[in-house]
Amino acid sequence: MLRVLTGLLVLGAVTAEDCCSSEDRHELQALWKEIWSAAFTGRRVQVAQAVFSDLFERDPASKNLFKRVNVDDMNSPEFRAHCIRVVNGLDTLIGLLDDTKTLKQQLDHLADQHAARDGITAAHFDEIANSFARVMPQVSGCFNPDAWNRCFNKLAHAIAAKLH
Amino acid sequence: MEKMLVSVFVLGLVAMVTADCGAMERLKVKQQWAEVYGDGNERVSFGEAVWKGIFHREPATRSLFTRVNGENVHSPEFRAHSSRVLGGLDMCVSLLDDEATLNAQLAHLNGQHKERGIPANYFKILGEVLMEVVPAKLGRCFDHDAWESCYGVIADGISK
Repeated sequence: MLRVLTGLLVLGAVTAEDCCSSEDRHELQALWKEIWSAAFTGRRVQVAQAVFSDLFERDPASKNLFKRVNVDDMNSPEFRAHCIRVVNGLDTLIGLLDDTKTLKQQLDHLADQHAARDGITAAHFDEIANSFARVMPQVSGCFNPDAWNRCFNKLAHAIAAKLH
Repeated sequence: MEKMLVSVFVLGLVAMVTADCGAMERLKVKQQWAEVYGDGNERVSFGEAVWKGIFHREPATRSLFTRVNGENVHSPEFRAHSSRVLGGLDMCVSLLDDEATLNAQLAHLNGQHKERGIPANYFKILGEVLMEVVPAKLGRCFDHDAWESCYGVIADGISK
């Protein structure tokens, strides 16, 4: 009996690991709202720049993927605009977390956009997920890493679905 | 002298009516947009109101959106499309006070829209609809002149 129970608990832990429950989603929306506002764009750029800096530090080669948006000058208008697009894409997804069918369509669209870019691999999404997980607690007062990771990984995997 | 005074007065009026999208207007529009755009499901209904307004005003625009199921504004495909368009607008509005980055972003959107062959007057229609839907949501705290001039900056950048 105990063994079955332990087994169930372990199973529960495993499935909870990759599930983004509705509690998780609301947690994510709440903490995102806290740091995000159209009235404060500076934050958006700074958060994205910190995420990309972390990524480039860990995987310098990935910098080559962003030549087109002037990655060599991370403060250039082109790279700042790119940063805005990335966090805005994330913002849109977080806003759609309660509308599963629309979310799926949007993830599909992003998957196509990324599949069309040469050199991006699924591993890059794991890397950037790690970078977000390191940056977010620095700007969010009450960060819940488990909820964040469960939902973020789910989104990231869906976007990377058409990559190798 | 009197004539002179009158023309100064008239010029002053003109300046008031056609307020340009200055630094203060930009901050105001950003703030008001943040309130209108909201989050989560609010955005979905806001988007629905915008698109219904567009299709009502100019039914021919619908044919541009067959790829994203424009026939049904409630479909997940169209909702996702709507969230991308509003997200694009959100980026521009939020960049209003960072001109260099705003211009880089407008250039990016300009390329995307040229690719799809969107006529420039559609941005005018979107603007007209926004001037109805936004105040409906904001109530009396809507600054029409600031919105009109700042939306103009964005629309011109995307559709030039």
